[in-house]
Amino acid sequence: MLRRAMIAAAFAAAALTGLAVQAGDEGPSDLEIAHIAYTAGEIDIRYAHLALALSDNPAVRGFAETMIRDHSAVNDAALGLLDKLGAKARDNPTSRSLLKQAAEKRAELKALSGAAFDRAYAENELAYHQFVNKTVEEVFIPAADNEEFKALLGTALKTFKIHQAHAERLVEQTR
Amino acid sequence: MRRALYGLVAGLAYASVPQTGEAETHIIEMRGLEFIPAEIDVAVGDTVTWVNADVMPHTATASDGSWDSGTMEAGDEWSLVIETEGALDYVCAFHPTMTGVINAR
Ligand SMILES: [Cu+2]
Repeated sequence: MLRRAMIAAAFAAAALTGLAVQAGDEGPSDLEIAHIAYTAGEIDIRYAHLALALSDNPAVRGFAETMIRDHSAVNDAALGLLDKLGAKARDNPTSRSLLKQAAEKRAELKALSGAAFDRAYAENELAYHQFVNKTVEEVFIPAADNEEFKALLGTALKTFKIHQAHAERLVEQTR
Repeated sequence: MRRALYGLVAGLAYASVPQTGEAETHIIEMRGLEFIPAEIDVAVGDTVTWVNADVMPHTATASDGSWDSGTMEAGDEWSLVIETEGALDYVCAFHPTMTGVINAR
């Protein structure tokens, strides 16, 4: 429990520091935030597909299906808003570093099976949502300029916090 | 004409709720991954309509398995006529933290 919390905290701190460094004094732009948030959703969808391929546990599969449904819906809403604003999300080093970390994590998870996979997937989902939520709440929402975009990030944060609570249950169920 | 209309209205009222006037429709919004309101009081014979105001899908699913909306996409509506008295607990099958209760009397 303590170990997991420390890992999550370290992960979040590293990511926040990284963002601050990359973004300079002004904070990330809306189009960078949009790219990072979209990427973070895509990453969770990929973890979920891995779970559906590797797990027979109904609780794990149900959780993974919810992640695919919800992150797809939030990402579609983000694309809809970008379209309406005539804007395009901007690739950036934070998005690329998230993708790299996720690829490493997926390789780690792929090597597991059965209950060991279920437990590792659940713990990663909890840590990942904690990290994403902290970043959205403490960095992205304060930095967002466009009001509609800020509101969408608020909706996303609410959704991901519910996922975090759901992931906490899943960790208990797969222990 | 007017007499026919009276007859129709009286007949409808009689058919739906014999004891206490007209059946009502209650709206429950699914918004921000919550049922709003999470708890409602209804009369037997009333209709409850769930409206999904979120961008992601939800369900309204009886905890005892007796009814289920199935997947409700963004903007979808689903209605249920309440036929039995008592407290009806329900959840969203996708989001276990999303719970509600209908008190029917
Ligand atoms: Cu739901």
